[in-house]
Amino acid sequence: MPELLRAEGISKRYGGVHALKNASLALHAGEAHALVGENGAGKSTLAKILAGAVRADAGSILIDGKPASIRNPVDAQRLGIGIIYQELDLFPHLTIGENIVVGNLNFPEGAWVDFRKVDAFCRPFLDRVGLRRDSRQMVAELPIGQAQLVALARALSMRARVILMDEPTSSLAEDAAERLFQTIRELKQSGVSIVYVSHKMDEIFRVCDRATVLRDGETVDTLELPKTTPGALVRMMVSGLDVGQVGNLRGGWQPPRGPIANRPAGFQPAPLLSVTNLTTRKLRGVSFDLRAGQVLGIAGLVGAGRSELGAALFGLDRVHAGAIRLRGIPVRLRSPAAAIRHGIGLVPEDRKRQGLMMDMSVLENGAMASRSVERERRALEPLFRQLSLHCPSYSAPVGWLSGGNQQKTLLARWLLVNPDILFMDDPARGIDVGAKQDIYRIVAELAAAGKGVLLASSELPELLRCCHRILVLADGRVAATYTAAEATPERIMAAATGAHTC
Amino acid sequence: MTYRGIDAETRRRGGLGEFRTVLARCALRWTPRLRVSASVMLAACLCSCSTPSTTGAAKRYFVAFSQCNNAEPYRAAQNALMTKLFAAYPDVKLVIADAQQDNSKQVAQVETFIRQKPDLLIVAPNERAALTAVMGQAMEAKIPTICLERDILQPNYTTYIRSDNAAIGRMAGEFIVDYLKRKYGEPRGNIVQMRGLLGVEGEINRDGGAKAVFARYPGIRIVAEPVADWIQAKAKDRMTEVLRAQPKIDVVYGHNDPMAIGAYLAAKELGREKEMAFVGVDGLAGDAGGIQKVKDGVLAATFVYPLCVDKAVEIGNRILRDPSFHPDKQYNIDATIVTPGGPQ
Amino acid sequence: MLKLRESQNLMALAGIVLLAILISPVASDGSRIFLQVGNLTDILRQISLIGIVSLGMTLVILTGGIDLSVGSTLALSSSLMAMGLTRAWPGSGYAAHMLYAIAAATLAGGLAGAVNGAAIAGLEIQPFIVTLATMIGIRGLAKWLTNNANIDIGFGRDVAAQFAAAFRQKSLVIGSYAALAAVFWLLLSRTVFGRHVRAIGDNETAARYAGLPIRRVKIVVYALSGLLAGFAGVLYAAGNQQGNPNAGVAYELDAIAAVVIGGTRLSGGKGSIAGTIVGTLIMGVLTNMLRLGNVDSNVEMMVKAVIIVLAVAVQRQRRMD
Repeated sequence: MPELLRAEGISKRYGGVHALKNASLALHAGEAHALVGENGAGKSTLAKILAGAVRADAGSILIDGKPASIRNPVDAQRLGIGIIYQELDLFPHLTIGENIVVGNLNFPEGAWVDFRKVDAFCRPFLDRVGLRRDSRQMVAELPIGQAQLVALARALSMRARVILMDEPTSSLAEDAAERLFQTIRELKQSGVSIVYVSHKMDEIFRVCDRATVLRDGETVDTLELPKTTPGALVRMMVSGLDVGQVGNLRGGWQPPRGPIANRPAGFQPAPLLSVTNLTTRKLRGVSFDLRAGQVLGIAGLVGAGRSELGAALFGLDRVHAGAIRLRGIPVRLRSPAAAIRHGIGLVPEDRKRQGLMMDMSVLENGAMASRSVERERRALEPLFRQLSLHCPSYSAPVGWLSGGNQQKTLLARWLLVNPDILFMDDPARGIDVGAKQDIYRIVAELAAAGKGVLLASSELPELLRCCHRILVLADGRVAATYTAAEATPERIMAAATGAHTC
Repeated sequence: MTYRGIDAETRRRGGLGEFRTVLARCALRWTPRLRVSASVMLAACLCSCSTPSTTGAAKRYFVAFSQCNNAEPYRAAQNALMTKLFAAYPDVKLVIADAQQDNSKQVAQVETFIRQKPDLLIVAPNERAALTAVMGQAMEAKIPTICLERDILQPNYTTYIRSDNAAIGRMAGEFIVDYLKRKYGEPRGNIVQMRGLLGVEGEINRDGGAKAVFARYPGIRIVAEPVADWIQAKAKDRMTEVLRAQPKIDVVYGHNDPMAIGAYLAAKELGREKEMAFVGVDGLAGDAGGIQKVKDGVLAATFVYPLCVDKAVEIGNRILRDPSFHPDKQYNIDATIVTPGGPQ
Repeated sequence: MLKLRESQNLMALAGIVLLAILISPVASDGSRIFLQVGNLTDILRQISLIGIVSLGMTLVILTGGIDLSVGSTLALSSSLMAMGLTRAWPGSGYAAHMLYAIAAATLAGGLAGAVNGAAIAGLEIQPFIVTLATMIGIRGLAKWLTNNANIDIGFGRDVAAQFAAAFRQKSLVIGSYAALAAVFWLLLSRTVFGRHVRAIGDNETAARYAGLPIRRVKIVVYALSGLLAGFAGVLYAAGNQQGNPNAGVAYELDAIAAVVIGGTRLSGGKGSIAGTIVGTLIMGVLTNMLRLGNVDSNVEMMVKAVIIVLAVAVQRQRRMD
């Protein structure tokens, strides 16, 4: 296969930090090429450089063998490089058609908008990605899976020959992810190359042909995927970590039963948390019990109500009906402050927007839920070490840290406050393998210490591995409850897909 | 950006269903708010609502008074006196609107009054040019209109009741000249003029009248003429600036009492109040008025500037009750000077 | 499909109009004063100046910015208009003279706006700060040029008086507002430029990645806001028959209120010209209703404040769904 793109010697510094040091990537036409590495290894930076969003300090890029200069996103567009960001850079209050057409060099238009021309232009691309919506609908009204399809349609409409995808399935439910994989296969066949930036080994091995491993800003190696194993890849990604049993795989490979499921949970007389008929804006009559020392998994599709359950327990959403009892005593949780006073903590889904103050330091973020930084410094620093949080200095802004370390900062905040009940919403999302392990370890330790943990997640192996019981939500209702022994991916999926899907 | 999808049930019902659901939801939400906001407004209106009605057994007269700025003490005194005088006539309903020194507001308020067809319209115009046309509209609508104290560019009124500001200016000028003659033995000295709104007849004439007097004496110089829009606080600020620039000041001629008092306060803060004499105009009664300040020694003299309201109410009543009455086009009311020796 | 935000605004407007009709005082011939044609056209004329300024403000707010200098620009323009008619271009024919003066006044507004835009887009200073500074500076300029005095446009037969007589007519004032509203509605919803305006306010990062000409759009948007304020100043000079360097104080707040009540979000990206027009009408009808009821003008201000807060609260409630 001819070589479509070659990047060599790419370097980029941010302040004192070397995001990329002599990284390289070679891409054939019509291949799906994975870009793997721990967070902080430079994958996103390399993708952004290829997409023109960031300028490299040094290095060269060849397209079809000819040198190319990518100074801005328009250059990238002209060269046929498109990118779909993890955070989805779309315009929420513009329509689907407008999102596809705005700034699109492939759609020439004058000063006046021709709505029919826009619709006609977009329709084939929308059909190709499987989005059956009216192109005059506003993107803000779409669920995130469909919004991502809009971003993909946009890239396709720019006649991209290379499409970079940054963690594309992190916000997708199973079925949308499947459709994405199918689309990728079709794109490969039509000669489009995909650069697939991801952590998820199972997906990478399913969809991609080759993989380039980055570590600490440098390219370690490029491998043909059928000829290697996830373990080998991970070994290359992670330096000095025992990688015996890491990674999630769906189907085929059995995840090891971790320490939790084999231990009997410590049962107390009254449940630590008892929820009866909880009804909020989104939830409808949810009931369950949580005992001290248990990890309760919350499964369900995107939009089923997992995060809303956390919001209700943490005093963020108004409770319309139903009761919440702590150790048998009914409580009214009117605000997060009230929830914290009752010993409930929440690690939110979107750590950047709902959890951390990105410009403030690691220490300040860690101390956020308590009173003063100074008093907590002495308690926080050992906690950070316990969590294996790596950063140049605890006074550095938390925005400089990798995803995994950011999540650990957030966790430290809650460990400091020491709640009885902790609701963790997708804590291991967008995090490298090593950090994931640390987080699972912490979940186990919290349960062992007698806390009640609610773990909401879209990753079934994660739930199967860490939880004593799994509660499946669908459309705001409890669809099913399974113990660890009963739970299988098929049963959980079946319960979760009861009503409508994206 | 967190994307929120439409919930499953609405999706099930499709496009129109979505519209209906959201409409229903928003109607449910809107109705209590509409009720609340409607009650708020209704309450506000009923509290201060005075709807003129022209039906009823006895004839009720609706008198509308458009005042340019309640914030000036002179005008507040006008309002108080007018309310008191009309209160003696139980068949008269008086409504006073405050334009807060804003031309557009006053024009709109007069327009609204015209719509309500009052039996008598009294206007104290904020500025001459801006109010001329709308008072013409009132005349065209056959509403008897009294122009109070300040004038407009064209005689668009039934009658104009004024006091002679030019005479006041002259009297003030003469008083100042005498004062300077007594101080120095000859007519010379430095004067600071504190001016009001420049577009107003009162300001033009109080300025012009005094300057005509000063012009006869080359030794008398006006060293600064800041504009303080009739307001005491502004006058204090302007005076502070002038004090820093001028080493020697003999007399401060404030075109109204609040400005003269403001100038006095500024001088007092810098310890120079004994250096100069302060002259004002208005001569209002009461503790804050100019007459009291003359008694207290703050002002060397003030000029009682008639409120013109007594004449306005007198003429107004006659217009209301006597259809055959044709008032003069203009009525002049005299001013009097007040010095420490008492009014003259 | 009907845009829900606008139908909610229209319901609010309908509600207020209904209330105004209900509590309107009755004239001697039995008709409701509020409904008299003269009164209704009065309302339209009274809102026209703020309405024109609000059109520009809508565009500015849609890009995620704000323009606090429109009131001062109006004052400058009215002063330049009066000065142009009374002190410049002697000996020109009336029509030409008026044209020169109108052009000078309006373009001065546009220039002021362009300066705002350049500072915001080029120097990347926050719009609040830049337009706060120009708010003060432009008013200072107006006061300096006129020596802080009003310039009267008389009632005689000279060009100034002719101009005033022509341009203060209700039909012309309301007509220009309507025409400008139509133009700007088209601009925002039917042109690529309008799409770029909305996109930049919606997600400026994405706009940069999409290669949109952000700097150019911002400068044009602020220049348009200045132009509209300039034209409003021309109408102000005709209506009040004076050039007034102290005019337009707090006009920017009235314009922002109209835009916000109309459903445009202050953070940008979401909003429409139609919404702003409805917002302007709501304020106008409300004010007229209160005045006809002889409500104290201070109470009037408090009611306006309540309405603004209510409107924004209802919109936030909608968004939470």
